[in-house]
Amino acid sequence: MTQQLSSKPFYGQRIEVRSVPDPIVKDCFAVFACRHKFCREVCPVYQDDRDESHTSYGFHSTLLAISQGIGSLEDVRDQVTNCLECGACELRCPNTLFAGDFYGASTTTVDLVRKVRRDLVAADIGFEKYEAIIEVIDKYLSYFTGPEEDLTRWAEGLNLPFTGETILFVDYFNAFETTVVARNAAKILSAAGVSYGILRHPGATLGELLDVDLDAFVEHARYNVNELVTAGAKRVILINPHDYTYFTRDYTAYLGELPFEVVYVTDVIDELITSGAITFEGASPLSGNVSYHDPCTLNKICGITESPRRIIRSLPGLNFVDVSPVAQWSYCCGKGSSSFKVLHPDTSYRIGARRLQAAADVGAERLVLACPHCEDQLTDVRARSGAPVEPIHVLALVAQAMGLE
Amino acid sequence: MTTTAVHAGLEGAIADLRQSIGSEFVLTEPYHRAIRSSSAAPFGVHLWQDTLPDLVVRPGSTADVIEIVRIANRWKVPIVPRGAGAGLADGAMPLRRGIVVDIKRMHDVLEIDDDNMTVTVQPGINMMELNKILRPLNVWFPDDPASYPVNVLGGRVGTGGWSLVGAGYGHIPNNVVSMEVVTPTGEVIRVGEGGARKIRKASTGYRMKELFIGHQGTLGIVTELTLDLSPRPEVEFPAFFAVRDWRDSWRLTQTLGKSGLKTISGIFQFDERKVDFLRRDDEAWIPLPDWVQGATGVICYGREAEVNAAKPIIFDLAKEAGATYLGQEMSEGDWASRHDRYHLAYHGRSGGKIKLMAWSIDDCAVQWSELPAVKKRWYEIADALVAKHPEHFDVWGMFMYTNNPFRPWGDHLTELDMGINELEMTPEIWADWIEAKTEIARTAVRHGGSVSACHGGTREGEVNVSCYEELAEGQFELMKKLKRLLDPENIMNPGKYNLDEAYEGDAR
Ligand SMILES: Cc1cc2nc3c(=O)[nH]c(=O)nc-3n(C[C@H](O)[C@H](O)[C@H](O)COP(=O)(O)OP(=O)(O)OC[C@H]3O[C@@H](n4cnc5c(N)ncnc54)[C@H](O)[C@@H]3O)c2cc1C
Ligand code: SF4
Repeated sequence: MTQQLSSKPFYGQRIEVRSVPDPIVKDCFAVFACRHKFCREVCPVYQDDRDESHTSYGFHSTLLAISQGIGSLEDVRDQVTNCLECGACELRCPNTLFAGDFYGASTTTVDLVRKVRRDLVAADIGFEKYEAIIEVIDKYLSYFTGPEEDLTRWAEGLNLPFTGETILFVDYFNAFETTVVARNAAKILSAAGVSYGILRHPGATLGELLDVDLDAFVEHARYNVNELVTAGAKRVILINPHDYTYFTRDYTAYLGELPFEVVYVTDVIDELITSGAITFEGASPLSGNVSYHDPCTLNKICGITESPRRIIRSLPGLNFVDVSPVAQWSYCCGKGSSSFKVLHPDTSYRIGARRLQAAADVGAERLVLACPHCEDQLTDVRARSGAPVEPIHVLALVAQAMGLE
Repeated sequence: MTTTAVHAGLEGAIADLRQSIGSEFVLTEPYHRAIRSSSAAPFGVHLWQDTLPDLVVRPGSTADVIEIVRIANRWKVPIVPRGAGAGLADGAMPLRRGIVVDIKRMHDVLEIDDDNMTVTVQPGINMMELNKILRPLNVWFPDDPASYPVNVLGGRVGTGGWSLVGAGYGHIPNNVVSMEVVTPTGEVIRVGEGGARKIRKASTGYRMKELFIGHQGTLGIVTELTLDLSPRPEVEFPAFFAVRDWRDSWRLTQTLGKSGLKTISGIFQFDERKVDFLRRDDEAWIPLPDWVQGATGVICYGREAEVNAAKPIIFDLAKEAGATYLGQEMSEGDWASRHDRYHLAYHGRSGGKIKLMAWSIDDCAVQWSELPAVKKRWYEIADALVAKHPEHFDVWGMFMYTNNPFRPWGDHLTELDMGINELEMTPEIWADWIEAKTEIARTAVRHGGSVSACHGGTREGEVNVSCYEELAEGQFELMKKLKRLLDPENIMNPGKYNLDEAYEGDAR
């Protein structure tokens, strides 16, 4: 079995039904003893249900209690599913603020939640709706084994090569669900004169696998890296910020330094605008009040917050009402980094509705997004709630401003 | 002292609670209970089982709270209100187990009246979240404890807490206009200055509001609060000054406090061991040269014009006192981190090596003139404890903050911070610790001070000093009579403040 790697190698040690390895006890005690509990109001799940059991403090304290003979591993089933894996609590935790760099003792809730999910599966305890996650995994893995041409159908008519020093990596979610995001990315790059290719047969990049089947996740990671190298990649452009976290954090943890550079599409487009390769002259200008939603993975986990904002500011005709990335630590679209929406659809919907309401409160007519999952989720939430704010992907706005549609 | 209580009526109470407030909000699984066994005070991890509540309920309305209280009385199962669980006097710790009433679901803003400068809220809302809502109206609720991002208002009232800017804006008891309270027998009452919801000064009846502030959940559950709003300050100006000897900082505090400057909203002192501790272990603290052996910080809030007028006077007074201004970056940085730096397990040290320790704080109220003597004695007590148990305790220095509401002079919240190694605690070491705490509390009282300026004096180690020494002149006796009158079944948070004595000799 693949060993869990994180900034805390001891997360590789299994938590048993009634015993917790000593380093994990200490790790949990550091959160329990940090009685600030600042991880609470910032947590989008807590904001919805106001249950302190479903916070970083609650989760770490439960594991500590198990180590002291109170409760058993079964107790954390509810807690591990009530986490969006958004990372807000990690940033807000004084341990991360003050002990992170110094002692390497940041709070790492997301890694611990994933680790415990896997321990629950390994202990045959599982968790509620575990089967639903397996269904999601089966669906996406069937793309891998299915007809190869389906994987690149999103690119039909774009005439993209399967090699290049720059590869646009298109994950299954973009390839099969939010194909417009992938097509816009491709059209924008082509129009800006970027020479790039795509993979003929990419592997899976699924958060659900990280949650329950680390071996399979790493197998696909290794496969993807090989495919990219074989295609000649020196630079890989990602258009799914969840993938960005996997490539930059998890792939490097399991496979070591990657033999290519990994960049997020907003950083690339921002550079192309700055260098003059992308211009917005001639096309019909945009209009209206827009705000920007920081995807949790980009903002809270990877710290990419500026390039999307600079792109929006450069788009002609828009009135940009910004909300700072730090203020957005407590926001989430509600979908979560992997399976939260599947596990808790009602909570997920309410968190999304609150996000759209927050955008309406600052006077936005459209909420600009930089993540296909946020787009999928908030479009769905808007349809159900009738919220007056329209979610729109930043690539769609760029494409429109370039006159590409 | 904790006893592991068993409640015969538990099953009946659980069934009734499920029926009346819904199974979803009646939680019996171990983890829901385990994480609500403690609050933020040092916790004997080895004693966890003793304070494990039997169940947790999460009411959503005043009607739910009334039902819970009535059911608890019917089945004689105790109730412990829980806010954010960040209290430092163990107020929310269920000493007799029973039902923890977690009020955080009740977090609505019920009315904002910016004409009359009040806001009416439910008790589960946090101050920072409330102020986000109030911001567009250019008003704020000025309760700013170091635990501002986490506390909820029910807990603030339960402890009768203290605010960092209390010398300018008052503390929580000064800023609650009126409250709705569910009494220990399940009646709903309103308490204010008189009986009106939004009147700050009335002369009708007894001053009942005071009775329902700081009672640590022993006299009822607050279900609604009407709070006093203030205009948002146009500017915040912090200035920190270094001194070569803590006594200079002590004197400067007095000079600034008595300067007559109305924009001063708080003055803080760091003693020499706090400065050393911050040098050693606070990664956000800009290291200061060795000659710095103390510091005084002052914070001014208000209109820009008045704060600007105050600045040169403050700088002149500091200069006359021989203090050195630490610069804008240090001053603003330190003020900005006022909510963040209180505790980190990784700040514990034993023989220079990291030892994971929790934070312990004593928060006595001490008159200005007595500070040097109290400080000296406290360190003697703390150092003796560390000498005896170097693996279990560490001294983290002292802060002293202005304590008088609306006036930056007189008494000071005097804080001794220590690290305590809870994970490796033994009953014997815990007993030594309790003894040291008793001595610390006693020292404050003997110097004319109070056991607690903000957290409450009901923790093990200090509760006896509170009841039998500080409140000795008839107050504790009256507290017992009132408790028994309002709570005939001793349902509300039993075990706190030794109030069980009020029922001694009862057949129950
Ligand atoms: C890092 C840190 C810094 C702190 N700094 C300060 C500070 O600067 N100033 C200060 O005053 N305190 C400070 N504290 C202590 C603490 O946060 C306060 O005492 C606060 O008032 C507790 O509020 P809570 O919501 O956490 O209440 P809890 O701990 O949940 O409860 C406190 C008490 O109130 C009772 N209670 C809760 N809700 C109700 C209700 N609805 N009705 C009646 N009783 C109720 C409980 O039974 C308990 O006795 C700090 C704590 C921490 C951890
Ligand atoms: S990771 Fe997100 S959802 Fe999970 S506890 Fe932290 S803030 Fe809450």
